[in-house]
Amino acid sequence: MCPGSNPGGGTISHSAALESPPAAACYRAAANRPTDRPSLDHRVPGTEEHPLTSLLDGIRVLDLSDWIAGSYCSRLLADYGATVTKVEAPEGGRIRHHAPYADDQPDAERALLSLHLNANKRDVTLDIETARGQELVDALAAQSDIVIDDRGPDVLDELGIGWDALSEGRDDLVMASITPFGLTGPWRDYRASELTLQAMGGPLHVNGSPDREPTKSGGYVAHIHAGISAAFGIMLARLRVEAGGVGDRIDLAIYETQSGFRDRRTPSLLGAAYAGYPAKPQAGGGGVGRGVRPASDGYVNILGHSPRYFDKFLELIGRSDLSEHDDAKLPPAQMSQAFVDEIEATYLTWLLARTKQQVVVETQAIGALGGAIYTTEDLLKDPHYRGRGVWDTIDHPVAGPAEHAGRQLILSQSTRGPVAPAPLLGQHNEQVLVTELGLDREEFEELRTTGVVGS
Amino acid sequence: MTNDQPQKLPLEGVRVAGVTVVWAGPHVTQLLAEWGADVIRVEPMNRIQPYSRLSLQPQSANVQQLMAQGGLTYALTPDLDPGPDPWNRSAAFNSHARNKRSMTCDITSPDGHAAFLKLIENVDVLVENNVPVTIEKAHITYEELRAVNPRLIMLRMPAFGLDGPYKNFRGFGTHVEGMIGHHHLRSYEDLGPEYTGDAYTADAIAGVMGAFAVTAALRHRERTGEGQLIEMPLAEAFLPVLGEWILEYTYNDRVAPSQGNSHPTHAPHGVYPTSGKRQFIAIDVPTDTEFQALNTVLNATLHEDDRFATNAARMEHRGALDQALSALTASHDKFELFHTLQAASVIAGPLMDELEALASPQLEARGWFEELTQSGVGTHQHPGILFKMANTPNHVRRAPPALGEDNEDIYLDLLGFSRDQYDALIEAGLVGTTYPDDLLRSAP
Repeated sequence: MCPGSNPGGGTISHSAALESPPAAACYRAAANRPTDRPSLDHRVPGTEEHPLTSLLDGIRVLDLSDWIAGSYCSRLLADYGATVTKVEAPEGGRIRHHAPYADDQPDAERALLSLHLNANKRDVTLDIETARGQELVDALAAQSDIVIDDRGPDVLDELGIGWDALSEGRDDLVMASITPFGLTGPWRDYRASELTLQAMGGPLHVNGSPDREPTKSGGYVAHIHAGISAAFGIMLARLRVEAGGVGDRIDLAIYETQSGFRDRRTPSLLGAAYAGYPAKPQAGGGGVGRGVRPASDGYVNILGHSPRYFDKFLELIGRSDLSEHDDAKLPPAQMSQAFVDEIEATYLTWLLARTKQQVVVETQAIGALGGAIYTTEDLLKDPHYRGRGVWDTIDHPVAGPAEHAGRQLILSQSTRGPVAPAPLLGQHNEQVLVTELGLDREEFEELRTTGVVGS
Repeated sequence: MTNDQPQKLPLEGVRVAGVTVVWAGPHVTQLLAEWGADVIRVEPMNRIQPYSRLSLQPQSANVQQLMAQGGLTYALTPDLDPGPDPWNRSAAFNSHARNKRSMTCDITSPDGHAAFLKLIENVDVLVENNVPVTIEKAHITYEELRAVNPRLIMLRMPAFGLDGPYKNFRGFGTHVEGMIGHHHLRSYEDLGPEYTGDAYTADAIAGVMGAFAVTAALRHRERTGEGQLIEMPLAEAFLPVLGEWILEYTYNDRVAPSQGNSHPTHAPHGVYPTSGKRQFIAIDVPTDTEFQALNTVLNATLHEDDRFATNAARMEHRGALDQALSALTASHDKFELFHTLQAASVIAGPLMDELEALASPQLEARGWFEELTQSGVGTHQHPGILFKMANTPNHVRRAPPALGEDNEDIYLDLLGFSRDQYDALIEAGLVGTTYPDDLLRSAP
């Protein structure tokens, strides 16, 4: 048995996990590890007359998106109980053809983005360029409460399956149209990507070192943020529909969700409006004891100076004598360089005698803000996250089992069920098109032969 | 089908209390307020809440000038004038507080706690993002508040969780990001993480995730009558951003790289200098066709160089490619090049600072910025609303509240305090519209 694995369920002891972090190879083998979080005190178990339900029970989502923002939006809705049916091209959408791949085998079933973003969904493969494919999308939409699209301003409209067509004859449809720049405006047809949207809308120009080129934020954060924002918008519109009101079309521009990004951007926009100055990159590690520094096994980022705990900080690094120094009571910017240098030299020696984990524990103990600079390996091995049951083990029929990023919300009265693996291409074609939509089986087979439906 | 009648805002009739600090919690309540919720910000007047009300920087005009010139602009005040009440004038506060009401209340004092419980009886939702021990000490945990209002939805947003070894760890968004691998991921490919600087991306993600969670829980309450506790640690809300890189480790035993501006398969993919001081354009080239188009626009022949002829070759020679491309872009104006490249169907976008955003023709055409007039602060353009809804035209309804601006309405009308009881709270220094002088002098 892998150390730290817990096939019997229940809470993993934090201290035990600290002593024996599981080996990396175990992350794939631990398929039978419970994915449910050990119960918290505040969770009230369901009863027969009062069963726990999911937040989004009964909501049916048709996911027509092809890229990350829409795909994460529907993943989030699926995780909290919505039934999500994804429609993609017979050869698979863009996220199935994007490196890296599980075991480095380029394959539509092994793209890591797809394994991540498509989990918990049903999959229907349709050629939506064909008339019959479009009719089937229209029929699927008629059975859905929510439609999500991120293919670009006019793409679905030109195929006859845009908002006007899908909402015809009903007033309860909620549709989220996620586009780079929005459905209107002079730049609506411009092309964009994660990098350029962060650059134009977000705080990219202030990221990184003042002495180097600015850098993007990690991964597809602008797209994921847009996807969550769309899920918020969908819930707003759906609340009103369920209260007897009408549906709505959400026009979400990632350029605008980046402009409204509360990682420095919105306060800096107002700062610029107030005083006429743009933000600039800030050097890391300014002041005293502040910022990223090396420890014995990596890096930490500690806010060593605050008037609240500077004396304790000096004591911690073994220089409580410096508390008596005239400079100790000054704001860091006004301390003499000699004073700062003396502290920094001692601090660095102190840091290098400790692991990053030890540094964090000891500085947190004096009330200092801070953390370690984790790699994904540190993250997966960390006893705190592991003990809280953050990771979902998902067993995929082609890629095999592995741990995934798990839940974001722990809910006292609602469940989050086990997560189904990303569906195989067209895995639910028959169930959705024949069983649920009532497509004649003979036609279904014919459509598969002609490639309208994936085979 | 687009309805002819503009619809009322979806959260009209929902009342939210916020005991929020710094950036993430106030962002959740901002988003709820924008879509119609009546958000009451509960804030002490005997303690200055760092970063959400006021910067930690002393608020002299001199310091404002230094901050502005240094580009640390998120707590600037209008015309760099801190005025007599800087806590009502900071961009850090006013960029999240529009549409909200402000009530001064010290929940750690007996009288304040009693008033707070009365407020809880009258709200649907409570949002807080304090260190868990703070909420426990103040006796406002979900268990305690549920006794007062069984239908309450309470969103708690600790940095790392309500249990586990890091339960009471303190950190800003930037520290949380370090502890989940984002700082490492966004660092330069060729430099250690100490050159990366701070970012608060986790606050932005937690804001929208929290707003989603509250609306989903409101839906659950409509269906079942039940409120509930939602625990949403900042660290865990951010994990989906790292999704494929977590799998890169669990499937492939590889640690996610420090990415810088690189992409797993696109080259070129980065920011390239343009004319002017520290001006850049971002360019992303997924295919050979687009690389040829890029060369055509730049009047160059890099695609004929063996090192750059195919995507695989370009990935292999990324360093040389970036250097060659930088030499080509350096003489161009970033906006002109942007439009020319877009006309050639190349994915490109200028790095836009905040002044350029304020002048963006796209944001202008879509009416994204909102002009607000705030008493004593003036009329300014404020950041807009994240998305539009066709049937629900939406604008910011109210300027940010001054400290305690809505005390009377809330204590007297909503909570039913008598004038005498209210005056006693003022007398006790628990209710008011300014911080005490000694607190301002010792402001950290």
